[in-house]
Amino acid sequence: MKKFYLIAFALFRLTVFAADDSLKPATNPQALLQDLQQKMASVSSVYLELTQERHLKLFSEPLKSEGVMLIESPDRIRWETTAPYQAILLGDKKSVAQFEFSDGKWEKLKMGFPQLLQRVMQQMSLMNQGKLEALTNDYAISVATGDSTVMTLTPKGKSVREMLASLEVKMASDFSATREVTMNEPNGDFTRIRFHDEKRNVKFPAGTFDQTKPLAIAAVQAVVKNAP
Amino acid sequence: MRRNFLLLPLIFSLAGGCATQPLPTSHLPPLKNTFPADGFVTQRALFTAHGRQFALNGYLAVSATGGWRFIVTETLGSVMADVLVKPDGKIVVMQSSRLFPEKYIRRLMVRDLQCIFGKTNDADCPVKKLDANHFLIERRGYSLDVRILEIKPGAQPAELFDETYMKTK
Repeated sequence: MKKFYLIAFALFRLTVFAADDSLKPATNPQALLQDLQQKMASVSSVYLELTQERHLKLFSEPLKSEGVMLIESPDRIRWETTAPYQAILLGDKKSVAQFEFSDGKWEKLKMGFPQLLQRVMQQMSLMNQGKLEALTNDYAISVATGDSTVMTLTPKGKSVREMLASLEVKMASDFSATREVTMNEPNGDFTRIRFHDEKRNVKFPAGTFDQTKPLAIAAVQAVVKNAP
Repeated sequence: MRRNFLLLPLIFSLAGGCATQPLPTSHLPPLKNTFPADGFVTQRALFTAHGRQFALNGYLAVSATGGWRFIVTETLGSVMADVLVKPDGKIVVMQSSRLFPEKYIRRLMVRDLQCIFGKTNDADCPVKKLDANHFLIERRGYSLDVRILEIKPGAQPAELFDETYMKTK
């Protein structure tokens, strides 16, 4: 019996190490980033469904939410939380808007920190378009490749580093899909966003990114999911 | 943005001048019957001050023996406030922020928390119950619209109620 456990343990270790070993630091990250940007240049829009887990060491279970992210080149982004509450963030290079769903209707908020949110949303948009080089002023970027490609962005600024230790973007090795994004905080807490049902180059219906009266997500999804 | 960060001290000074005083801290009030003695409550809130609105998430862990632990995060997930209220009423601010300074958490946030979840003197609690899971607190200087999203009964980890264990940051 003891031998069985030893073998099982050895197999487990091998499996774990095999998974770890699948990623190796890229010898030429610059070339990979250029390749990514080139491939993503042909992507005019992206639709992603997501599950987000915020892991706080204090809590025994992660805090979960679900939603969708829509990006349209060059700068439009919609981030919508669909559960356990409903909220929409919309942004482009000029402005951001936030909506909350309460008492059966959407309310546009008079936002408290629009500049901060706009900057974060612009960075999210750039990352999802593969324009990571545009972020090199703010982040040191390293790349590891294997079964997937993982780009790690480490903030350069001290004030950002106090909130964010690193940000990992995991993509399919051929950059055909974004798999997950992990935001690591200095104290060990982290937020992991897993993406699924990604669709690229879809034509979003009018009103999808409207910052006054955004089209309902169900109407957007009806178009996206019926697209060829 | 800087102007927004300056709102809270102003609210604090306004509220501090109100007739309502901070709740006595000699004990933590018992929970309303609608909430379990041990459990975890997730909330979504809209905090409005000086015409600006802040969407927030609230996480309240309650323990019959340990007290209350309340954590507030903003839209992007950063912790804006973390406070522990011990059974004897002692308030330990574990983390504050520029949006919610320690003074605000200690004197106003804890009071609002007790108004929604605890059996308290209604005169000190201007809470409107809009429906079973929806509360509105309107005070001089700010309003707080709170929706209860989920109530999970069950014992919470003891560490949550130990101020020496760890901070959220």
